[in-house]
Amino acid sequence: MFEVLEHTADIGFRARAPSLSGLFEAAAEALVAIVLNPANIVPRDAIELSAQGESNESLLVNWLSEVLYWLDGERFALRGFQVHRLGGGRIAARATGERRDCLRHEPRLIVKGVTYHQLKIGQNAKGWWCEVYLDV
Amino acid sequence: MQIEALDDFRYRIGRDEARGMRAAVLVFASPRLLEQIRKDKSLEQAENVAMLPGIVGPSLAMPDIHQGYGFPIGGVAATDWREGVVSPGGVGFDINCGVRLVRSSVALEGARPRIRDLVNQIFRDIPCGAGGEGPVKIEGQTLDRALEEGAQWAVEAGYGEPRDAEFAEERGCLKDADPAKVSDRAKTRGRPQLGTIGSGNHFLEIQYVEQIHDAQAAAAMQLEEGQIVVLIHCGSRGLGHQVCTDYLAQMGEAMKKYGITLPDRQLACVPIQSPEGQSYLGAMRAAANFAWANRQVILHFLRGAFRRIFGPDTRLDLVYDVCHNIAKRERHMVQGEWKDVLVHRKGATRAFPAGHPELPAAYRSTGQPVFVPGSMGTASWVLVGAAGSMTQTFGSVCHGAGRRMSRTAAKKGRNASEVQKKLEAEGIFVRSETRDGILEEIPEAYKDVDEVIEVAHRTGLARKVARLRPIGVIKG
Repeated sequence: MFEVLEHTADIGFRARAPSLSGLFEAAAEALVAIVLNPANIVPRDAIELSAQGESNESLLVNWLSEVLYWLDGERFALRGFQVHRLGGGRIAARATGERRDCLRHEPRLIVKGVTYHQLKIGQNAKGWWCEVYLDV
Repeated sequence: MQIEALDDFRYRIGRDEARGMRAAVLVFASPRLLEQIRKDKSLEQAENVAMLPGIVGPSLAMPDIHQGYGFPIGGVAATDWREGVVSPGGVGFDINCGVRLVRSSVALEGARPRIRDLVNQIFRDIPCGAGGEGPVKIEGQTLDRALEEGAQWAVEAGYGEPRDAEFAEERGCLKDADPAKVSDRAKTRGRPQLGTIGSGNHFLEIQYVEQIHDAQAAAAMQLEEGQIVVLIHCGSRGLGHQVCTDYLAQMGEAMKKYGITLPDRQLACVPIQSPEGQSYLGAMRAAANFAWANRQVILHFLRGAFRRIFGPDTRLDLVYDVCHNIAKRERHMVQGEWKDVLVHRKGATRAFPAGHPELPAAYRSTGQPVFVPGSMGTASWVLVGAAGSMTQTFGSVCHGAGRRMSRTAAKKGRNASEVQKKLEAEGIFVRSETRDGILEEIPEAYKDVDEVIEVAHRTGLARKVARLRPIGVIKG
């Protein structure tokens, strides 16, 4: 679950989930939905993703940068993120999808990078939340 | 935050040592622009920049400053070449995002009736938006050559005319670029995007010269009223974005090693002379060269589009090409002594004055051309660097109008086809890959470019040369 946040020049999102793993999955889904329309992604292939970071914050930025590389570098539209390992400064996950198709996946924005600007990760009675700003 | 007015267009925020500031902040703005600037966090970000180790002179805020990440957009900071740091955040994700102005042999009266055909032809020939792959396939060693040689590679590969590379900042090629410091991921991300505009605020605009303000400088650029020109705004695409991502990740770790602490992780930095600093600069220069190659390839396909519409004898000549996201080693006079510094320009343009040895002979007596895009419904400006830039801003000036409205706010309550119709009624034909591409970049989302230029002109950073008006716009 996520919502878009305003920024003078760029764009951000707030994501929420009951668990920290769920939060990383929700943040990845948010990033994908900002880049393209995920509704028509067909889960043809599964891919493994991983990232490292010394804190939850840097792990989140590096994780989203990994997702962004698959979207923009490998031109792969991905969804259905499932984190299968999270801890010790590492994340490993699986996602499914297919090669990007300009017509079916309706490109929305080019995201240049994931920033540390006003980056927040927190926990409350309902679970975990984060706020992330993207350079577009 | 205490802001002291120095005069009508200059403001100073004193150095707060308790906050860790190593320098003051100097803001170039009118009272009205300052009021808008204070609505976001850009001045706080300029204060954070003043905390960079080895900063020389004040942290500088150009009149188009607005909130960015780490550095404000419209921020300039020079650091000591021997003792100071380099910060990838002071360059940004879009390394060597820049603007090139191309003059044509077509006049406004000849272009108006064909503007739809021209825009549609360019839209077909030069990919823009989030989906497009470029018209040029570039592999392995050829990509490395482009990273080393920039626009000069593109010209030699057949994407341009010999004089093109001469009329660009650094002649379209930063020396000491190191393709080996650019990751495979960055190369994979950028490789298919050569010759593409991208999205966001990037664009290609067909404009005409509305009014000449400096006849001598306009003559040196061979600009005259009523002439059609093209302004191209884009950068190093995914390759530069990934270089920034890669080095930001590395520098977070390295900062600890060098005992550097800063209030914003996005300002991550390392000593210039450290292995990490030198690696970043090698990769950044390579990405900058990719951006120059990109804008050069776009010019080549633009020539094709113009000739298809206006005939094979149509001339398109490069006036100049400037970058506004870069860090460069330069020599400046600081408190009476020449000093080697690394000038970070994040959303700021180099503006060297007349007589500077870096300038091509054609502009040696007028000053370096500077291009400041406004918005798609208003105006853009051609300036030349003036002597005040060397004494006040390390040879820098503004780069645009500066946003004042978020993308979400710009879209609220507006309809893309209505915006398009309104602009068409004003004589501006717009095409974009997406509806959002039009809505997010509406003229109202930007500050008044004329006021930004007035500040640059009145403070002696640059001089007005010509005001340009759009008639055709291609947005990503």
